[in-house]
Amino acid sequence: MAGNFWHSSHHQQWLLDKQDLVRERQHDLSILTEEEYQKILIFFANLIQVLGEQLKLRQQVIATATVYFKRFYARNSLKCIDPLLLAPTSIFLASKVEEFGVISNTRLITTCQTAIKNKFSYAYTQEFPYRTNHILECEFYLLEHLDCCLIVYQPYRPLLTLIQDIGPDDQLLTLAWRIVNDSLRTDVCLLYAPYQIAIGALQIACVIMQKDMKSWFAELNADMEKIQEIARYIINLYELWKTYDEKKDIQALLNKMPKPKPAPQR
Amino acid sequence: MLDFCQCTRILPARHRRRDRSNRNIMQKYEKLEKIGEGTYGTVFKAKNLETQEIVALKRVRLDDDDEGVPSSALREICLLKELKHKNIVRLYDVLHSDKKLTLVFEHCDQDLKKYFDSLYGEIDPDVVKSFLFQLLRGLAFCHSRNVLHRDLKPQNLLINKNDELKLADFGLARAFGIPVKCYSAEVVTLWYRPPDVLFGAKLYTTSIDMWSAGCIFAELSNSGRPLFPGSDGDDQLKRIFKMLGTPTEETWPDISTLPDYRAFPQYHLTPGLTQACPKLTARGKDLLQRLLVCNPALRLSAEEAMAHSYFNDLDPAIRNDRCQ
Repeated sequence: MAGNFWHSSHHQQWLLDKQDLVRERQHDLSILTEEEYQKILIFFANLIQVLGEQLKLRQQVIATATVYFKRFYARNSLKCIDPLLLAPTSIFLASKVEEFGVISNTRLITTCQTAIKNKFSYAYTQEFPYRTNHILECEFYLLEHLDCCLIVYQPYRPLLTLIQDIGPDDQLLTLAWRIVNDSLRTDVCLLYAPYQIAIGALQIACVIMQKDMKSWFAELNADMEKIQEIARYIINLYELWKTYDEKKDIQALLNKMPKPKPAPQR
Repeated sequence: MLDFCQCTRILPARHRRRDRSNRNIMQKYEKLEKIGEGTYGTVFKAKNLETQEIVALKRVRLDDDDEGVPSSALREICLLKELKHKNIVRLYDVLHSDKKLTLVFEHCDQDLKKYFDSLYGEIDPDVVKSFLFQLLRGLAFCHSRNVLHRDLKPQNLLINKNDELKLADFGLARAFGIPVKCYSAEVVTLWYRPPDVLFGAKLYTTSIDMWSAGCIFAELSNSGRPLFPGSDGDDQLKRIFKMLGTPTEETWPDISTLPDYRAFPQYHLTPGLTQACPKLTARGKDLLQRLLVCNPALRLSAEEAMAHSYFNDLDPAIRNDRCQ
């Protein structure tokens, strides 16, 4: 990955504050409760993950696509562009920027159709409605709304450095890595620096594995208050997951979601 | 591609307005003349009708219906978004109107190649020093941000009327590896490629740009006569080794493990390099010899080169320029 985080557009332009998010989501939150809104974003993060895995993308590309998606809706209402179109478009753009190579559009559409039919039939009863031309058009809007800031830093690399410092521990790494993946279902990638998210994930992993690392964390010189906030976001997600059945609830939520008008025709 | 009425179907009112405003932005610029063909589209000189400022518009061709915005253009956009420096060409804006993407760049009057053509064989040694220093300063900045240019050549160095030099044309090399051919008629030249890359080295480091900087330094001092104008890969390497001596396992450990390594006649180190640049001072020649080193590990970095004694008498106005 090219660049230097401290001088990056990610650091200078795209670490938002919580008040910004509240303000920008005002419209959507007049229709949806905060929890419903979160559930919808979780659903689409899951969709991006599944599409990415089907396309055999590296986790880094999937994470970047998810961040594009979240940045777009951090500045726009859900009714601006159907998230079902923005999700594959984010993948399309991220795969080019991360130098994964261009995914053929035909393959992307086919993958969407198959995934919607086989894996998300609990959410969509109709087939995937978009075609290549929609994705290419949407790519322009995404690019514009991201203000062309395409280089995104992820917590994975700082996580590897931190684990190296602790001493090799594959179990801890695997667990913390998965927690970082889970964190993409929260707002933390919009609010905190990637190295802070890595520390937050690592802290939760240590707690789960009952590994006492208090003195090591204390020596990190990180803003522990922020780390606690990050951990809180992620733990709240786990709390939500305990009682939430996406398969049962998502269709109603998608129906309630604010939509582009007039609705896209198939 | 999508036609406009279709696009109104997926995009809500707010976006249609935006799109229209973008069309107005396109009317904001008056196209003056075609400057050239870039790697992925045509470049025009244009005037911002509101501010009268002259800009360069790079129109991105979207001819491949499957790729959308070309990776090379995306690469340039996202790198320039992160690199704001006086010695790097500034990307002001990215505009889209229904089927086209237009990048708005700061305009420079000419590139270094055209500058050479206007010289009639004479260049002021202070200009050589100033241009090289600015080139190194732009590179040092890129390298500090972990960005490699990888395709430095006089055509990619822009000069404005205040004799400020700016690195341009990012992205292509990074996205595709060193390109063998361009989309436009222009053939990518081998002249500025280091021997490690000519031997197929896959792991690029900042040293690749430092070799090119050395070649450009020599060319500057000779008012535009290229140092190693090879006709193909073999000829390129032969020209380099005739002047610098053929590298051996002693001067360049593991050279024979490079993917495209092949044996060349043993040319010996001659004073050829210093003879080839007669107008350089002794310090200038010393700096040149430290940049043009076959073994990439031994080449000076941009920071080190900027600290070389050749620049001791550099115009303080250039050295002290705040570049952010």
